[in-house]
Amino acid sequence: MKLFLSGNEAIAFGLLASGVRFGVGYPGTPSSEVLPTAIEISKKYALDGYFEWSVNEKVAFEEATAASIAGIGSFVVMKQVGLNVAMDPFMNTALVGSPGGLVVVVADDPGPHSSQTEQDSRFLAFFAKIPVIEPATPKEAYEFSKLAFNLSKKFEIPVMIRTTTRVSHSREDIEVSIGDNKPVKVDFKRDIDRFAATPHFRFLLHKQLNRKIKVVATLEWYSDFDEYFDGNILIITSGISFAYLYDIVEENGLQDRVKLLRVRMPYPLNVEKIRERTKRFDEVFVIEEGYPIIEMQLGDRGCFRGRLTGDVPQEGELTIDEIKKILSRVGILSSESEESVKPPFKRPSLCPGCGHRSAFYAIKKVFKNEAIYTGDIGCYTLGLNLNAVDTVHCMGASVSFGFGFDKVYSIFGDTDRPVVATIGDSTFFHSGIPPLIDAVHNYSKLILVILDNSTVAMTGNQTTPANEIGQSGRKTKPVKIEDVVRALGVDFIKVRDAYDMDGMISDLQEAKEFAFRNSLPAVLIFRHPCVYSGEGLKNNVRFKKVFVETSLCTGCKVCVKQFECPSLVYNAEKKRVFIDLATCIKCGQCVVSCPFNAIKVEK
Amino acid sequence: MRLVILGVGGMGAITLSKIIAQMCIDKGIPVRSSEIHGMAKKGGLVEIQMKIGEGKSGVVLKKTADFAIVLDESYKDYARSYLKDSEKGLIVLTEKDKLWAVNQFGDVRFANAFLLGRFIKSQSVFDKDDALSVLEQFKFFDKNKISFERGLS
Repeated sequence: MKLFLSGNEAIAFGLLASGVRFGVGYPGTPSSEVLPTAIEISKKYALDGYFEWSVNEKVAFEEATAASIAGIGSFVVMKQVGLNVAMDPFMNTALVGSPGGLVVVVADDPGPHSSQTEQDSRFLAFFAKIPVIEPATPKEAYEFSKLAFNLSKKFEIPVMIRTTTRVSHSREDIEVSIGDNKPVKVDFKRDIDRFAATPHFRFLLHKQLNRKIKVVATLEWYSDFDEYFDGNILIITSGISFAYLYDIVEENGLQDRVKLLRVRMPYPLNVEKIRERTKRFDEVFVIEEGYPIIEMQLGDRGCFRGRLTGDVPQEGELTIDEIKKILSRVGILSSESEESVKPPFKRPSLCPGCGHRSAFYAIKKVFKNEAIYTGDIGCYTLGLNLNAVDTVHCMGASVSFGFGFDKVYSIFGDTDRPVVATIGDSTFFHSGIPPLIDAVHNYSKLILVILDNSTVAMTGNQTTPANEIGQSGRKTKPVKIEDVVRALGVDFIKVRDAYDMDGMISDLQEAKEFAFRNSLPAVLIFRHPCVYSGEGLKNNVRFKKVFVETSLCTGCKVCVKQFECPSLVYNAEKKRVFIDLATCIKCGQCVVSCPFNAIKVEK
Repeated sequence: MRLVILGVGGMGAITLSKIIAQMCIDKGIPVRSSEIHGMAKKGGLVEIQMKIGEGKSGVVLKKTADFAIVLDESYKDYARSYLKDSEKGLIVLTEKDKLWAVNQFGDVRFANAFLLGRFIKSQSVFDKDDALSVLEQFKFFDKNKISFERGLS
């Protein structure tokens, strides 16, 4: 069966085809499609197994490790910053091993396009001492996933599949087959020296790990190279950079000038084998997407040129254009100067009708420029556009940053400044709970607004622990945010629909009073279903007409600036604001933003 | 053949690329694409580059594309920068055609079938029947067929 699959979809096919029956993770661009595809495949082929989102990457990693220890082929998927969250179990699982096989799928985001960092997860594989293999195309993503699982199972060691945005979001026609639903046997073999190892045994496990990695480094296929062309300049490469280089050589007729040596497994690298190949070359370039993991392992630099010698830029994505520039700079390609045409820039914005926008508007009405606004990771990062977000750091940091700001202002500030933290529902579950415990326990007067749209919206509407049905379609028990908050000892909790502007404003005022009076956190849950989800849009308030009364509009742009809905468009010629009917969902939330009551609704 | 498809989030540009890819698979022609849709959901650009019957990556470089299909007129100049010959191969969904699809079917996404028709008319690798047999597998075939045939005419 030939399908047109993305790299992420291909990984799911490869893993399930090789017998993986347990898959967990946390959504994050560019990794989010792997798990939903695994769920689709398991349904379509009636494969037994468990495939579902977890509350965060650390938890997911531990769940998958346990499944693997019990003998079940498993995978865990996350984006690169998710692996930071999972570092603790990641390091430990490397030592203890994964008897049933465990594939760690990590999608890196050089650029970055939709991440806080452009870190290279291959370095974390190196750090934990687990093998990492790196596909260059969706077709390879399918094949390499199978090979990753086989390697993991054979050596009882987690194996990383490292993909990048361009591989994850490329598509290719791929011949796939899932095979039979082979019976799977769960079998936890008790071994406390291994699975409950004390430090003494950890030393022995480390020794075993070193032994494993030494053998893996010389394994056939994994330590082999793909070699193309026959020129005098050698380029060592891997991953997507290999695919780019291959195309550049073909398109520019460089077959006689360069030779490509493609590494399949960047760690552990068989350095001797590479040195054998590089001996006869005077000029060797290393071009790899991310950090110089291959380059650094090569040791004595000699004739090697790459990121460490400044020939390859040390930050940013190695796009095909960037690689062409490198080759021009070193004289392999003739340089061509061409002015680059860029697409017109459009600032990203919360969707028209998004409840978060109304919530941010209410927050700004109450706290103006007086508060410090700590934000978080998700759609609501775009509260930036309403000047209601001052910091965005990492998952859950809105709460801990809020705590930190409040403490230092309480102690060192001339005036006591309110601190308003905003966090999404899924991010709150992911890592907002522990810092809220700190805030309660240590008398922080933080005002925390949980913007609850009951979905992981930014990454494509995945399910959250508050949902009644999981991503897999299975019935799940909803965990209520207000119950969690109450159980932590928060005394001030209000739940409000984010379309209730007056209600939110009075809640926020009360919250401020409570927090300052008691030096305790106040939590507000502003809830409104995501209008980007089919269900949310279908059930949303919908007026017959939302329009600007042109005679009343003064063209002051207050609505455009303060409410910032993309459907409010200022026409410079007519000096009036108009509503873009193609994008407006007729929710009428913008009405409050006009100081001249020019925005009207018709029921 | 190399082509790029440019649209904004939610318009169905990716579906259009999948239809073209399915025509390739049906004919046994290797096909690969590269999608860029970072913040597309938030009103941004969706960019799909496709290589049909060539290459290892789906990436298409500036000044090398045979066709550029544009679903939003504001990206016309950007689309032209991809073309081998800036006078040839540009397929644009004009405001007029967009409104026609919206008025006729109530959903702008039916304009994709119209663009598919224009694409089929502009090249010789795929013919009308190749396209129809793929469209058949999609929902609302009758509506898509009307839109497609308008593109062909």
